[in-house]
Amino acid sequence: MTDLLFTNARLLDPSQNIDAVGYLAVTDGNISAIGVGTPEGADVKATKTIDCGGQSLAPGIVDMRVQTADPGSEHLEDLPSLLRAAAAAGVTGFACLPNTQPVVDNAAMIDSLALRASRIGGPRLHVYGAATRNLEGTEMAEIGMMAEAGAVGFTNATSSIDDALVMRRVMAYASMLDKPIIQHCEEASLSRDGEMNESETSTRLGLLGIPAAAEAMIIDRDIHLMRLTGARYHVAHVSTRAGVTAIRRAKAEGLPITADTAPPYFLLNELAVSTYDTAFKLSPPLRSEDDRQAVIDAIADGTIDAIASDHVPVDGDAKTQPFGPAQPGASGLDTLLSLTLSLVHQQKITMMRAFEALSLAPAAILDVPGGTLAPGAAADLVIFKPDVGRLIRGADFTSLSRITPFEGQPAQGVVTATYVNGICVHQMAA
Amino acid sequence: MNKPSNKRAATARNAPAALLPTRHLLGIEGMNPLEINALLDRGDYFANAIQKNSDQQANLGDALKGKTVLNLFYENSTRTRVSFELAAKRLGGSVLNISVAGSSVKKGETLLDTATTLNAMHPHILVVRHNCSGAARLLSEHVDAAVINAGDGRHEHPTQALLDALTIRRRVGHIEGLKIAICGDIANSRVARSNIHLLGTLGAEVRLVCPSTLLPTAIDQMGVSVSTNLEEGIYGADIVMMLRLQTERMAGTETPSQREYFNLFGLDRSKFLRAAPNALIMHPGPMNRGVEIDSTMADDVEKSLIRTQVEMGVAARMACLEALALGGETA
Repeated sequence: MTDLLFTNARLLDPSQNIDAVGYLAVTDGNISAIGVGTPEGADVKATKTIDCGGQSLAPGIVDMRVQTADPGSEHLEDLPSLLRAAAAAGVTGFACLPNTQPVVDNAAMIDSLALRASRIGGPRLHVYGAATRNLEGTEMAEIGMMAEAGAVGFTNATSSIDDALVMRRVMAYASMLDKPIIQHCEEASLSRDGEMNESETSTRLGLLGIPAAAEAMIIDRDIHLMRLTGARYHVAHVSTRAGVTAIRRAKAEGLPITADTAPPYFLLNELAVSTYDTAFKLSPPLRSEDDRQAVIDAIADGTIDAIASDHVPVDGDAKTQPFGPAQPGASGLDTLLSLTLSLVHQQKITMMRAFEALSLAPAAILDVPGGTLAPGAAADLVIFKPDVGRLIRGADFTSLSRITPFEGQPAQGVVTATYVNGICVHQMAA
Repeated sequence: MNKPSNKRAATARNAPAALLPTRHLLGIEGMNPLEINALLDRGDYFANAIQKNSDQQANLGDALKGKTVLNLFYENSTRTRVSFELAAKRLGGSVLNISVAGSSVKKGETLLDTATTLNAMHPHILVVRHNCSGAARLLSEHVDAAVINAGDGRHEHPTQALLDALTIRRRVGHIEGLKIAICGDIANSRVARSNIHLLGTLGAEVRLVCPSTLLPTAIDQMGVSVSTNLEEGIYGADIVMMLRLQTERMAGTETPSQREYFNLFGLDRSKFLRAAPNALIMHPGPMNRGVEIDSTMADDVEKSLIRTQVEMGVAARMACLEALALGGETA
């Protein structure tokens, strides 16, 4: 008999292109049936039936760019708070960057994080291994052993691997293991000390600029290295038109390149920095309006495959500073779904495309569960009300990290419940 | 009583104290010509009063009587700090100087902690210099005192632009229509930015001259023309304003050498011949002699306004301090 039966739900499944009101059955933690309309036959009997009342039911979000401050700076975000925040955000799986203290550059660190997350329970925690030892960009880390321990990809976290030879070797090695390399694309020698996007605004504010070219240069270089190595390569948080153009060209060539971006890069531009508000200090920096439009177009046409939260735990101490020394980054988990839905509400993308970007594409890139409501798949689900309004307030976040560039902004879309393996990990208080 | 006597006030143009719509003076950007001219008129009045009156205090008013001005300088400064101190004292205020060396800042205290600590002592006006752009604005959001930006990173240095304008106005009589060339390290200069805003707002034609490596992105969108050739850029200019090469803010790859910089962009007599016949030379100081300016030009008593600039600094800052002090009373 079915364990759990969701009825009267707007089913959203990008993997089967379903957007219809129907039902979904869960047995032994997996989806056992899905159908349009009301359930019939064997599906009707369930241990528990949940009437969704017309709410949307979609594959849970797979967030492929999250920073955890645990271990190292647990006061900013520890694993329990991170898992709670993810669950509340409708995220059923997320991948953590290896820039913890100590760095995740060996299999033991991956084992430790996975074990601790499983004890806490909740969403699936995936881990990226550091591509280079201690993220120094000079020596390759033990990528093979980390892959065996479950690393879903390798990355130098918040900076590029500067040395082209090191990058070539890392890519070649990872391709042997069929793991993607995730790159934060920023030519360090051009962007060092940079405080914001290089533009008239940076000139006016007297802040040091990071040119858009710094992003495209690394993408271009790495595309050449893809041809040499055959590696799967993923561009994290694309922010510029030049970057988008480079990725689009490489895709047209048939190279295994993928990309993600985050809500600030399709909803905000550099003008937000005009008051020196450090909540808008991000890495990469907020770009020009033209870049923002290019990012939106690239999400719509699939050049940018995925949307991630780019969640960075920071607190007031790191942000209540002059713009230059303030730490870049902001909280992203709590707002990921509603901000992505704003593109749907603005009719820039369809609901189907939104969940492709939030769930199907990242799950495929990382080869982890998610992105489908097909029978047999793990019952990782999010139930949400796409039209219900909310006011974004950092103080209301589930995450311990409460600084957001969207403070005080209205948004639509509220998560009411999250299921992982058919188990409820978040239920909005009635 | 320290009221200005009518007789004296009549000899100096009797400009009333300037009133500003804002509680702080953080930058020139956004100020309108009326506000700028009100400060310049009042600065002019103070300059006359200081020059003509041996018994200085009598004519200057006591706008700052019983008020405390706190100079908080995170970067070394002699002229600006002393200038503010003198300006405040001439208006009857008491002044406290805090320099970062040897203070709790050196012990790791953050800018805002320092600010809130000082705020608890209830100063009326906080004069701040900091190496970070936007620092003065950040402070202004967290203290009760009126904040004057005495230079924040590469952003603005509003009182320098005001004193420069006052200097020009007193010598030439007007600013509108003048051709003013600002030459040198534009990229790292807050003085350049404040002057671009102020001189442009008052109707001058502003040109920038600097090597392409010191030219900030899209600065031509700020209503200025740009040249990378000194002789060409100062051609026909009424004012040639030289900027200090800010080696402390430079990465070392901007110019090949100081020798080459002087060769190409340093102001000497032969290059200066390209400017208008009665052209004047300015420099906000401190000067790097033989780098951006030749000593014969800097010390030319006919053409150099550099010492007048320093003198006008006190008058211009008096106008600013007074405006903020009065603003606090009416608020």
